[in-house]
Amino acid sequence: MNRMIKFLLILTVLALGLSACGQTATQQPTPQPQTIRETVTVKETVVVPAEKVTVRLSGWASSPAETALLESLLYKFSVENPDILVKYEPITGDYKQVLLTSIASGTEPDIFYVDIFWWLELAANDALLPLDDLMAASGVSRSDFIPALIDAFTYEGKTYGIPKDFNTLGMFYNKDLFDKAGLAYPTDDWTWNDLREAAAKLTDLSDPNKPIYGFCTPPDPGRFPVFVFQDGGTVMNSDFTDTTLDSEAAVKAAEFYTSFRANQIGAMPSDLGEGWQGTLFGKGQCAMVYEGGWLIPYLRDQFPNTKYGVVMPPAGPGGEGNLIFTVAWGISANTKNAEAAWKVVNFLTSEASQKAVLESGFALPSRQALQNSDYLKNNPNSAAIFNGSFYGARPFFWGAVGSDVNDQMAKALERIFKENQPVPEAMKQAAEAIRKAMR
Amino acid sequence: MRTRTDRRKWVDALNGYLFISPWLIIFLIFSLISLGYAVYLSFTEYNLLRPPRWWGLEGYRRVLEDELFISKALPNTFKYVLIVVPIQTFLSLVLAFAMDQNLRFQRFFRTIFYLPSVTSSVVISLIFIWIFAPQGIFNQITGLTVNWLDDPRTAFYVIMGMNIFTTSGTLMLIFLAGLQDIPLAVYEAAEIDGANGLQKFFYITVPMLRPVIFFVVTVGVIGCFQVFDQIFVMTNGGPLDSTTTITYLIYKWAFRDTRIQMGQASALAVILTLIILAVTLLQRRVIEGSGSGAER
Repeated sequence: MNRMIKFLLILTVLALGLSACGQTATQQPTPQPQTIRETVTVKETVVVPAEKVTVRLSGWASSPAETALLESLLYKFSVENPDILVKYEPITGDYKQVLLTSIASGTEPDIFYVDIFWWLELAANDALLPLDDLMAASGVSRSDFIPALIDAFTYEGKTYGIPKDFNTLGMFYNKDLFDKAGLAYPTDDWTWNDLREAAAKLTDLSDPNKPIYGFCTPPDPGRFPVFVFQDGGTVMNSDFTDTTLDSEAAVKAAEFYTSFRANQIGAMPSDLGEGWQGTLFGKGQCAMVYEGGWLIPYLRDQFPNTKYGVVMPPAGPGGEGNLIFTVAWGISANTKNAEAAWKVVNFLTSEASQKAVLESGFALPSRQALQNSDYLKNNPNSAAIFNGSFYGARPFFWGAVGSDVNDQMAKALERIFKENQPVPEAMKQAAEAIRKAMR
Repeated sequence: MRTRTDRRKWVDALNGYLFISPWLIIFLIFSLISLGYAVYLSFTEYNLLRPPRWWGLEGYRRVLEDELFISKALPNTFKYVLIVVPIQTFLSLVLAFAMDQNLRFQRFFRTIFYLPSVTSSVVISLIFIWIFAPQGIFNQITGLTVNWLDDPRTAFYVIMGMNIFTTSGTLMLIFLAGLQDIPLAVYEAAEIDGANGLQKFFYITVPMLRPVIFFVVTVGVIGCFQVFDQIFVMTNGGPLDSTTTITYLIYKWAFRDTRIQMGQASALAVILTLIILAVTLLQRRVIEGSGSGAER
């Protein structure tokens, strides 16, 4: 036993030694970046000797190009407003987790992204500043923005965030596969029947190593609700106090959505070994997918040879339906420089900045005025996704138990797909689990 | 004279504390204080946005009534421990025994077996995701078409297999050290009495290794009860909650849900600690108890 302890001691010493080695290895940055940083600070103090207000701004960093765009906008802002110093502190990793813990410790940034999916929890707990007075003071009106977007960030009659951009879902279709099947390209007038017929004709399972499915149906709560809306149903009731996932409209929508895979004219991305249907679309294994504008730059970078078009999702028996994904700039309720922070937010959501966002191709602008911009006229794919926001689109938001609603929707679909659970039973089970979580 | 030695002792003690202070400070701040705070939080309602509000045992009641905890996380965690711990203990013991013989390329094999243990669990998880993908190597070699990580019947077993694969190397090293502590004279005596290899293994090696086995099983049980990163990377608790364990549920309540329930998550963390404590004490009784019986 004694020797055993000795051995363990040696092990721990070794482990400590190892970790120490690891640290020295990581603590060896070349001295170059430091000198660069120094010159920057020197420059700034020389240019502006006057007293500066500092505001901190955070968001997640989804891509280097998007970060570069934001930085260029902030640079423009700093030229126009030398008295305000904006510190950009992007958060990598789990954004919401970092933001919430920084709010809990009182060290949150002055300005930060708030996602449609969970912003209300912040507003309801007084962590966000109502912006109406600041908006009125600088002549910004709610009607400048697309109604569905600004309404989505309104709580008890007050505006808590200025939408910075948005996405809806469009139906991406692979032109080569349509040509191969001898089918005419889809239009905005398509219906569920057209979708089903096209999916059947596009499916080609002759090559077991590269099966081609007409339509991909992921068990994804960010896709399926579109079908519920198109069937005249909803996910939640109007004040988010109950779920309507076990209503007839929702059950029928689920039956339609899961029928593609059941009839072997559709598949889950995981059936084909991918986590995301965007990759399968690029590879030509899913002929049609419902995705947002984010797929456009992805295809440009990863699959430049895939020829595709985008139309609005085909209408169902209840008409058009779509989901709105949007992110807003929010200001912390504890900020000491509310006016400076508002100036930054106002600049970033101004028409000029929004135009830069639009032309970069990442996301769509939240300002109504840009509806008739040349960019949208020349880019029908982006225009289809922009216009989606006007046709039966609802925000991707399910109230305080949103993550439970999402989980239950995904699980209901998975049970139908993987365990052949009857659709009405699956939806009923999901609805009951959500009601339990609400209590 | 007396004050002098007293002072000496003081200085010695101070020196000692000085030497352990780097560890001690880190332990106090990041372990003991946060541990105490977590226990406090378990009696509160806390969503990170408003200050914690005392609500006594309500969090514990909610945990014990939670369906996901009762029907998935709790049984899954016990299933994980009951399958992984015996296999990894037995496997590493056999590996250590084999490595203790004078084999050729012994060092090479030791390195190979230990390699998975020093690799980051996230990296290994990613490798396993690719191996067990529908078109992955495993399906191609075996000719199967199972979607391992997306099938509620198989996903958990893949994670178990991966954990056994990664931890067996470390446990093997510990066993190896234990094996080298066994005096050769005992084996020689047994040989004179005519014991064969198998008998030597079961009647000398295993009993002599009892304290090491206790250590390995205890460390294994604690590690298995806390399994998290592999699940976080590979399945996120899915498909259909088949890989949701207690630690993953804690994470889900504390950070992932729209409505943050830090108090309830802390309550579950305390419950997990109590479970581990109880199981470890039970183990000690079983292993040490049976040990003294055999020696008599």
